[in-house]
Amino acid sequence: MAIDGLIILDATGRPIIQSGFRSSTAAYPLLHIDALNHAIAKSPRPDDVDPVLYVSGASTEGSSACCHVKYGELRFLSPVSGDVDPLYAFAFLQTFVDILHEYFGSISADTLKDNFDVVYQLLEETLDAGGHPLTTSPNALRDIVLPPSLLTKVLSVAGVSGLASPSANSHPFASPIPWRKAGVRYNNNEIYFDVVEALEAIVNKNGTPAVSTVWGRVDCNCKLSGTPDLLLTLSNSHNLNDASFHPCVRLQRWGRDRTLSFVPPDGHFKLMEYRYAPASTTSQHQVSVPFALRVATMNIDENGGTFDLALTSRLTTRPLENVYIDLFLGEGASGASCVVSHNASWNFDPKSLNLHWGIKSLPPSSTFSLRGSFTSSMKTPRPARAFRIRFEIIQHSFSALKIEQLKLTGEMYKPYKGMRGKSTGDVEWRW
Amino acid sequence: MSSFRAPPRKGENFELSADLNSEYREKRKDAIKKVIANMTVGKDVSGLFPDVLKNMQTDDLEQKKLVYLYLMNYAKTQPELVILAVNTFVKDTDDSNPLVRALAIRTMGCLRAEKIIDYLCDPLQKCLRDDNPYVRKTAALCVAKLYDLKPELVVENGFVETLQEMIADSNPMVVANTVAALTDIHIAAVAAGSSQEVFVITPTILNKLLVALNECSEWGRVEILTALARYESPDDRESEHICERVVPQLQHANASVVLGAVKVIMIHMRNVHSENLTKQFIRKMAPPLVTLLSNPPEVQWVALRNINLLLQKRHDILSNEMRVFFCKYNDPLYVKVEKLDIMVRLAGENNVDALLSELKEYASEVDVDFVRRSIKAIGQTAIKIDEAAERCVNVLLELINTRVSYVVQEAVVVMKDIFRKYPSTYEGVIPTLCANLDELDEPEAKASLIWIIGEYANKIDNADELLGIFVDTFTEESYPVQLQTLTAVVKLYLQKPEGSQGLVQSILNTATKDCDSPDVRDRAYIYWRLLSTDPGAAKAVVLSHRPPISLPRTTVAPALLEELLSEIPTLASVYHKPAETFVGRGRIGVDSVQQRNSSELPDDRSATQKALQTVAAGRQAENLLDFDDVSAEDGQQPSGLAATTVLASTPAAANLLSGTSSNPLDDLVSIFGSVSMTPVQPPQPANALGGFGSPVATSPPVGLPAAASPPVQQASSNDLLGLF
Repeated sequence: MAIDGLIILDATGRPIIQSGFRSSTAAYPLLHIDALNHAIAKSPRPDDVDPVLYVSGASTEGSSACCHVKYGELRFLSPVSGDVDPLYAFAFLQTFVDILHEYFGSISADTLKDNFDVVYQLLEETLDAGGHPLTTSPNALRDIVLPPSLLTKVLSVAGVSGLASPSANSHPFASPIPWRKAGVRYNNNEIYFDVVEALEAIVNKNGTPAVSTVWGRVDCNCKLSGTPDLLLTLSNSHNLNDASFHPCVRLQRWGRDRTLSFVPPDGHFKLMEYRYAPASTTSQHQVSVPFALRVATMNIDENGGTFDLALTSRLTTRPLENVYIDLFLGEGASGASCVVSHNASWNFDPKSLNLHWGIKSLPPSSTFSLRGSFTSSMKTPRPARAFRIRFEIIQHSFSALKIEQLKLTGEMYKPYKGMRGKSTGDVEWRW
Repeated sequence: MSSFRAPPRKGENFELSADLNSEYREKRKDAIKKVIANMTVGKDVSGLFPDVLKNMQTDDLEQKKLVYLYLMNYAKTQPELVILAVNTFVKDTDDSNPLVRALAIRTMGCLRAEKIIDYLCDPLQKCLRDDNPYVRKTAALCVAKLYDLKPELVVENGFVETLQEMIADSNPMVVANTVAALTDIHIAAVAAGSSQEVFVITPTILNKLLVALNECSEWGRVEILTALARYESPDDRESEHICERVVPQLQHANASVVLGAVKVIMIHMRNVHSENLTKQFIRKMAPPLVTLLSNPPEVQWVALRNINLLLQKRHDILSNEMRVFFCKYNDPLYVKVEKLDIMVRLAGENNVDALLSELKEYASEVDVDFVRRSIKAIGQTAIKIDEAAERCVNVLLELINTRVSYVVQEAVVVMKDIFRKYPSTYEGVIPTLCANLDELDEPEAKASLIWIIGEYANKIDNADELLGIFVDTFTEESYPVQLQTLTAVVKLYLQKPEGSQGLVQSILNTATKDCDSPDVRDRAYIYWRLLSTDPGAAKAVVLSHRPPISLPRTTVAPALLEELLSEIPTLASVYHKPAETFVGRGRIGVDSVQQRNSSELPDDRSATQKALQTVAAGRQAENLLDFDDVSAEDGQQPSGLAATTVLASTPAAANLLSGTSSNPLDDLVSIFGSVSMTPVQPPQPANALGGFGSPVATSPPVGLPAAASPPVQQASSNDLLGLF
């Protein structure tokens, strides 16, 4: 199981950085870049290009495939030849992007170009010339590739580059646990858990959800000394279905009594992911959508249309924040004019042909409305059949997941623990 | 390109060269960075080779790495210069810093220069036994690279044996990399035609792998799972054990680990005879697959393709989860298409209402391609679930009433299939369909409507008028429409001779005289002859009872499905094609597949091999030089496929096909094992591909025709052939 390499393309489809491709001809990566650019140019919508592109005759030995993903304006490519798992390529691309995030904060063509030496070193450390991913755990990587920090810059200006390598370098991978650095020390031992839940729903015309699923994630920021062995007990854990875990979690233990037993990596990491399905009496296991959208009128006339919408929060205690409602007005849409409630805004994006309606904060049980009309160059405009509504709820989780207990063994101190909840939603509301 | 012997006198490279020789350390380092930057964007900096080389001996690890990067890039073109660096490399493998040791050994393995390799063996030997696990795991992968370049060196130095010992290493990362290296060597050895297995998984190794599986990194787990999939367990106890140990991996965060585990379980489950246990494994496999749908669309797509495949084998696994597959408005098209297909697969009496209202919603979307597929899905649902057929027809009627051209046309095509499946049930909708005659401009839709009119000619009062419209424009229509018009008019004439005589006369005239398609002409002649000699026979042929249609449960041949399932997360399972047909690594093709087959295999497995060979044979057909007497057997493989598809259901049929022997395995061998028994036939690659492309054609129930060939066409021409 091995991929052939990695290529990063900028917004115009030109390669910025690519791995060595040492065991193939120079044309091999170029052919893949070309195939992808060609496919994108040919497709009416660039996002509709098959994610695993079949590239014929790229190598002397036969055909290959090109797995590609888009992050921001950049595209990450991974050619594979032979019968390889494309998920392997996608998982590696995702991991590499995460690493770049760790190192540079944001990823853009400019940051990559400015730090190409670091990116190159990262590529070398994470991907073997034979295509095997090597070290991808951020904890271990930091030992071997220095992040571009102020310290290294200062040191390099002062001309003492020899010092720039940390003393820990003399024993990399000395830790018996691959994901955790050895010899971590903190003055304050703290660990924070962020429960982030995302509601994904499709709501039918009559207001009943056709499907609604909550995907949850527990992010963790660990600042604990030594080698702590944690035992985390969650309330409501029986409601969590289909959980998947960071490699540090002992799976057998979860299978036995639904507690999380693990030695955490240092710093930020994703502890677990799950699907929340309430064990309710209804067979559908649906989570209710925290608002209602009433489409009072939605008339399509010749060369335009009128609409009258009202959005009501169904929450009673917390506000819905950063609510964005989008509607694609169809090919040929040329403009819109609307009246919105106080504290809300609207605009029409002539590039994406979307009507945006933004509400910074929707207080509990309140109603906001949008009334207006749009024009189109098409005789019978065909706007999208559904509104897309995104929102956030701070300090809230659909599953009401709580930490019941956190036990620490293996170290003498008592850690401070904190937990936060946050919910987001992405709902499709049909009219 | 400037030669390295004569350094450039001006320009950027000249300045860089000066900087590389600067007395200030920082200036040199910056210069190296610039060189690498230029190298990345494809500028030729090979002329600076000697200057860069001078900077190799340094305490600064970062600088060392950059110089090594440069060397790796240009070693191929300037091998004689790389020799100058060998001493530093060898010295570095003795460095006190394990990072430097690992870096040196890794770089040496990557240089791919013959001259370096001779110096590699001793340091490699040392590094494989290094104290530091990082060095050991790097060295393990280096062995695989060395094998790629000079296999004999690996054998001479006993590196493979060392690697096999290293599977028992205390560090799981080392174990994982060792497994990866051994797998690579194994693949390379097989591709080179080596008969000796390099990486045999013994029960002892198996246990070590299972232990390491829980401890190493995600990438290592994938490697180990791949190795486990290769292991052939001697009894069902061990298979069970492997499955149980692998099941927890389904909860890993990395999608490729999850699908890797699914693959191992699918393979080893074949040996598990306990129905209970099988069910349990299947139940555990379903939720992780659904979880994959929370990932970005690319991963979703791969997951969906694999779910689709799994569902063809086990259609019960996700029966309660259909809602998860509902399409969102802004899903990419490739995801929507897969979701649609899976939804229809999961459709049952209990969820058909939800499915239909969902499909109706999709049919009003903007994306034409998706709308068409949704309408097709409605038709497939109607054919799949008898009880829901009427509801489906009602939905289709509603859609036809929207009067959107492409919706109407697709709905008409779908209605034709419903008429085939449920003859004489929904005649009430015919007037609505006919009312939309003017809207139709696509050949398939036209042909479908004409077929319906012809089929129900005696029930439609103005059938002659309607058909007359098409007869008038006969020569302007496309061939499928012409063929359908011809057949429909003959049907009309046979059912209502009075009043349609002129019509049939004129169309037979036009078709035989003014038509340039031999198919149309020939069919017209046949009809003419039939009608003039024996109207009774004509009736028997043209109005004969048509075999019922059903939805194919699988889109690939059953034997191929087995093979694909054991390939689960790989490209083969994503493309739903065997790997041999699209990735030809070296000589893996007909020959090697045949080699694999030559060993005695269990019954169903060898059937799989055969299906594979057929496809591979078709693939390689263009390479005619390959067809010596070995490939003469390939020519018979179309029949091999036909036999295997039948074999899967009825072994008796295989006996019929292949001869007299009573042992099915013998029959399989006789089909294409011995040239002497059967006459040598010329290769028929077209058939081989055709057989693969439409597995439906080889089995009695005729599948839902998706392409522009309405079923009646096939049926009636088949009947005709039978008559003569």
